[in-house]
Amino acid sequence: MITKDILKKLASNLMFEMEEEEYDTLEKEFAIFLKQMDLIAHIKDVDGVEPMTFPFELDINDHFLRSDVANNEINFDDMKVNVKDYEENKIKVPKVVE
Amino acid sequence: MTNKLIDEIRSSLDNGEIDSHMLFEEAVTKAKEYQKEYNCFVTILDEKQEENGNSILRGIPYALKDNISTKGILTTASSNILKDYIPLYDATVYKKLKEAGAVLMGKTTLDELAMGGTGTTCHTGIVRNPWDKRRMIGGSSAGSAACVALGIVPFSIGSDTGDSIRKPAAYGGVVGYKPTYGRVSRYGLFAFASSLDHVGVFARSVKDVCYVMDVIKGHDDKDMTSLVDHDGVYIDNINRSVCGKKLFYIKEAIDIDSNSGELKKIIDNFNTTIEKCRELGMIVEEVSFRKDLLEAIYPAYMCISCAEATSNNSNLTGIAFGNRVDGHSINDIMIKTRTKGFSELIKRRFVLGSYVLQKENQEKLFLNAGRIRRLIVDKMNELFKNYDGLIMPSIGEIAPFFDKDSDRLSDEYLILGNHLVIGNFGGFPSISIPSGFVDKMPVSVNITGRAREDALVLNIANKLEEVLGYRGLVKENE
Repeated sequence: MITKDILKKLASNLMFEMEEEEYDTLEKEFAIFLKQMDLIAHIKDVDGVEPMTFPFELDINDHFLRSDVANNEINFDDMKVNVKDYEENKIKVPKVVE
Repeated sequence: MTNKLIDEIRSSLDNGEIDSHMLFEEAVTKAKEYQKEYNCFVTILDEKQEENGNSILRGIPYALKDNISTKGILTTASSNILKDYIPLYDATVYKKLKEAGAVLMGKTTLDELAMGGTGTTCHTGIVRNPWDKRRMIGGSSAGSAACVALGIVPFSIGSDTGDSIRKPAAYGGVVGYKPTYGRVSRYGLFAFASSLDHVGVFARSVKDVCYVMDVIKGHDDKDMTSLVDHDGVYIDNINRSVCGKKLFYIKEAIDIDSNSGELKKIIDNFNTTIEKCRELGMIVEEVSFRKDLLEAIYPAYMCISCAEATSNNSNLTGIAFGNRVDGHSINDIMIKTRTKGFSELIKRRFVLGSYVLQKENQEKLFLNAGRIRRLIVDKMNELFKNYDGLIMPSIGEIAPFFDKDSDRLSDEYLILGNHLVIGNFGGFPSISIPSGFVDKMPVSVNITGRAREDALVLNIANKLEEVLGYRGLVKENE
C-alpha cells in the first residue's frame, strides 16, 4: 500500500519537492504502477535466474582496461565558461561543509 | 539539396554545383523557417565550423541530439536544470563526425533528459510531427527524427534507451537505427540508463545509415563498454542477397483481438511487408513467445530504467554545474535547484526509480526485473540460433494526437507498443524502416538481429527497403 507520506519521503531522499497536486497525480500513477509491478513480483520460473545487468557477455577480446595515462585534461579557460563564479584559476562553489 | 540522399548530395558537392557553405546555409535557413511550427532544435548554429576531415560525409550538414556533449556549444538535454550548460569536451560520436568532415548545424530537442516517448516534455516546448502537426513525432529523440523527416538535414544522431530512435523514426517516416550495444561509444552521451543506452542514427535510407555508422562505430578508450570493431565496412555488405535468410515474428504480438481499424490496417501493412520478404527469398515464420514475459517488458523496463536514471542523475545538484538556485545551506541549494530544475514527469520517474531500489522492494521488483530481462534475452538468443532476425511492425499505432497519449503509466499492456525494448534489453541491433501509410500517416517495420551482427541487419533492411519503395521519403512543408 502506497501512501502520500511514503511518496513524500522518497521525494525528500531524492532532494526535491513536489506540489500537493503533483503528489495526487503520483499517487494515482503508483496505483497503476504497483499493479504492473505485481506482474513482475509474481512472474513464474525466475527462481535461480541471475538478474541481468548488462546486455551480453563480453568476449575475452573485449576485456581490456585502458592504459593509465591522462586522456582528458580540461584547462581552466575551457572550464570557466560553465561556472558561475571564479577567482584567478579557482572556481568558487557554495560552502559544502557545515 | 539537404532533402536528398547522401549519394546525390556528395555528387553535387564533388562536381562543384554546390559547396558546403551553401549546404550549411540551406539547412540553417530551413531549420529557422520550421522552428516555430515544429520546434526541432534547441540550438541552431549561426556559423559553419571549418570541415577538416575527409569522407563521404565531408561538407554535409547534420544535427545532434541535445544530450550529446559538444565542447563550447550549449547542451541542455532539454531540461531546465541544464539550460545554460556548456560542455567542456566533445562526445566521441561528435568528434568522429567532425574528423570525417561532417558539418554540425544544430542540436535537437528531446524529451527532458531523454526520459520520455512523446516529444512533449522538452523545456522549450513540444515537437510536432511533420506529417500532421496535430500529432506527436514521439520521443525521446523527437527533434532528430523531425529534422530528417522535414528534409532539413540528410541525417541526424539520436540516443535510444527503450525505443527513443526507432519509435520517432516510425512516427516520422524515416529510418531509425539502434546498433548493437557498445557499437558506438557512449562517451559524452548524458547517461539515462547505462545498461540500456545506445547512440544511433536517423536517415532517409538504410544506405545513408550505413555511411554514418561506418564513421561513428568502433572501440573507444573512453568507453570501456564499447566494442572492438571486427565488422568491416557496412556499406560494402548491404547489397548481398538475402535469399534463404530466416526471419520470425511473435504470434502473441500480432494476434491481437482489437476493434481498432487503425491497428488492423497496420497489421495488413505488416502482412504485405512479410510477403515482400518472401519475394526476396527470405523465410518468414510465426513463433510463440511467453505472453507473461511479453506483458512484463514494459514494467521491467520502467523498473530498470528509472532505477538507473535515479542514480545517474544524482549529479545534477547545481553545485559543480547546472542551473543553481541560491539557498542558505548546501542542502537547501540542492533541493531548490532540483525542485526548480526538473519537470513533474522527471520527478515522478525518479520517485518510481527510488521506490524499486528501496531495500524492502529490491528483491521482488528491481532484481526480478533483471531476471525477466534475462529470460527474455535468453529466449531471443535461443530463437536467433534458428533465425537471422525478428521482424515486427515497429509500433501498433500511427503517431498519436497530442491529447490522446501521455507519459503517465497506462494500465494497458500493449505488447505491440513495447516490444522494441527487447533490443535494449539484449543490446540487439534494431532498425525501423518506413513500410507504407495508414490514414495518411507513415507506418514502419522493425528488424532486430543478433548482437554484434549489425552488418546482417543492415543488409536485410536495405534489401527490404528496395522492394518497399519508401527510400528517401521526406515531408516538406507545402
